[in-house]
Amino acid sequence: MTTTDRHPVQSDSAPPTGMSVKKLPKRAGHISIAEKRRRRAGWLMITPSVIHVGLWTAIPVLATFYLSFTDYNIFDAPNWIWLDNYIEMFQDPVFVQSIWNTIWYTFWTVPVAMAVAVVVAVLLNQGLKMQKFYRTAFFVPQVTATVAIAMVWLWIFNPQYGLLNAALESIGLPGQAWLVDPTWALPSVILVGAWQGIGIKMLIYIAALQNIDESLYEAASLDGASSIRKFFSITVPMLKPATFFVFIISIIGAFQVFDQIYVLTDGGPANATTMMTYEVYRSAFQEFRMGMAAAQSVVLFAFLLFVTLISRRATKEED
Amino acid sequence: MEVKSRMRRTASVAMVALMGLGLVACSAGGSDTPLDPDEVSGEISLLTPIFEGSPGQDLLEDELLPKFYEEYPNVKVNVDYTTYGNLNEKLTTAVVSGLVPDVMLMGVGWVEGFASKNVLADLGELGLSESSLKEKYTDAIVDAGTWDGKVYAVPIMLDTRFGVARMDILKEAGYDSPPSSWEELIEIAEATTVRSSSGKLERAGFDMLSLDARQAFETMLFSAGGDIFNDDDTEPTFNGPEGVAALGLMSDLINKYKVEDIGFTSTDDIVNPLINGRAAMGIAHNNLWSQTLAADPTVIDNLEPFLIQGEAPGMFFGGTLATVAKNSKSPQAARALLEFLSSPEAALAANEQRGNVPALTELLDSDYVQSNRFVQFAMENLDVAKREGGPAKWLEVRGDVAPAVQSALLGQSTPEKALDDLAGLVQSAIDR
Repeated sequence: MTTTDRHPVQSDSAPPTGMSVKKLPKRAGHISIAEKRRRRAGWLMITPSVIHVGLWTAIPVLATFYLSFTDYNIFDAPNWIWLDNYIEMFQDPVFVQSIWNTIWYTFWTVPVAMAVAVVVAVLLNQGLKMQKFYRTAFFVPQVTATVAIAMVWLWIFNPQYGLLNAALESIGLPGQAWLVDPTWALPSVILVGAWQGIGIKMLIYIAALQNIDESLYEAASLDGASSIRKFFSITVPMLKPATFFVFIISIIGAFQVFDQIYVLTDGGPANATTMMTYEVYRSAFQEFRMGMAAAQSVVLFAFLLFVTLISRRATKEED
Repeated sequence: MEVKSRMRRTASVAMVALMGLGLVACSAGGSDTPLDPDEVSGEISLLTPIFEGSPGQDLLEDELLPKFYEEYPNVKVNVDYTTYGNLNEKLTTAVVSGLVPDVMLMGVGWVEGFASKNVLADLGELGLSESSLKEKYTDAIVDAGTWDGKVYAVPIMLDTRFGVARMDILKEAGYDSPPSSWEELIEIAEATTVRSSSGKLERAGFDMLSLDARQAFETMLFSAGGDIFNDDDTEPTFNGPEGVAALGLMSDLINKYKVEDIGFTSTDDIVNPLINGRAAMGIAHNNLWSQTLAADPTVIDNLEPFLIQGEAPGMFFGGTLATVAKNSKSPQAARALLEFLSSPEAALAANEQRGNVPALTELLDSDYVQSNRFVQFAMENLDVAKREGGPAKWLEVRGDVAPAVQSALLGQSTPEKALDDLAGLVQSAIDR
């Protein structure tokens, strides 16, 4: 991919063999025909991608920023209202609650699922019997429609005939109204989110584990290192790039949680499980306030950008 | 059983078809401008949150639309199915893209918002009049399709909520009839609530949780003699003394009288607790009758509908109405479909399929209504039923009602504060 950078194609005006290309004085404004062709071909090749990104990413993103300063409601032309949406949003206790709920959800689902995923990945990288079956089993929730998963969890959480309460009652503990009691609703949703997110994280970790040089473990073994020491001194540091990647995509995924809320709790009870994305949806499709929804999306974007930058800086400093 | 039901439905459809033809002929002499089928043509789209699922789709495409095509051979209908849960998204994207379906079926409380934004056609301009509708429907139902003095929608079916009692359970507890006041409701609910020795609820005396919290509250509000908005729909009134009393009663039933526990039932329950005896009384939808016939016909005779009587008889009605897009390229074809779908024949078949209440007064005498006690009860009491909606902003705020009600039921907030906070939010939306 970077071959052309390291071995530039000689142009028609290339110096005689033996002379270094880099040492040639540049002729300002002059581009050879071959170079022009090369650039043209390059532009031609990236044009579909540029059009795609421009149409489906750049324009909507810019439109979102613009609409966030308007009162657009799909029926009437948008009016510029400066920061009114942002002011109203942060005065709205439900949206503020959705921010805290989203942070809380992310705080629990990301690290918990990552920790479980590392352990599972290490275990499934040991050449166990039926390894492929276990890997598939852990990955299935990732590729199953969240709606289908949520339906199963609705049954598990059902206060009257659900599996969870039956299990608790069998050991003498009282059952709970998991999804309708504000104390338990968010933890229940977090449990589903963490469980569902393990598969993809595990897959990335397994790929990263398989790239760790075996000789490191052999050398550690010769030095008498225990398995736990090898895990913390070799595996964990060597997984750092994968961990950063998993961390970022997990945070983005957690901040964008929507479908399981939509199916499991509808944001309730009494807004106990509403999330930022769910409030965006409500503003846009239940209240027809596209301007407000755009402003809420911008805030969500700002959160994600902030977390990504902080994570990136932290990783760089460690490097 | 399904075949029998289908045959019965076909027979009743045919019978009502004859009745409908007669009525169409009669109504031609009224104030509506009749359509000439030969001159009506075009390809139109229909967006419908009813007729969903295989049975509904079969009914619409195999039974109803062929009859429509017989009458209007030059019209083609493309159907877009959705559910009420997704109707908002469908309509939003349709409006944004400029591809608004020619005929849209929407709920009570929806019409005002879309009419005020010029999405819907004034049916008066298409030849339908309010006075002719009021000859066929009760005033409150016609009002649900009007905005700013103009008619924008024609009713097809109603969804009603009222009290239902399991008389076998009530009789066991020594009561011969459903409650006729709030005081009696509390007394009977307490008497019929059953808990295990460990305190676990086994039977609710009065179930409110298997119904959407907003609609349950509205039913109780109407029972308290209250209204959601003032007469000109400019201010919320649900936070008045009636609303506070209604939500207070709901909260007390759970937190003070302990006749139901949070989580005991939910809107996701497959079987209504009144069917399997997990509740002695409750607020229920009219299609509980059809559900019971399908799930356990042996208890059907034990179910007794009643108006929840507080300061006023409480009954809620919502429903489905047919509208025409203002920018329809084939408005006459759209009107033809609207009239067909709201005709006695099609409306009866659609109602029977969903176990719902026909909006047309004349259908009270139909076999379907006479054989379905809940639907019959609902139709006989439509004069006291009230609906939600009113202001154009209702659609924007109705999603905020359930969380407010839940916060009171969960004891997070007093009924007064929950309703006052909600009223503030609603008022700011109205003023926006």
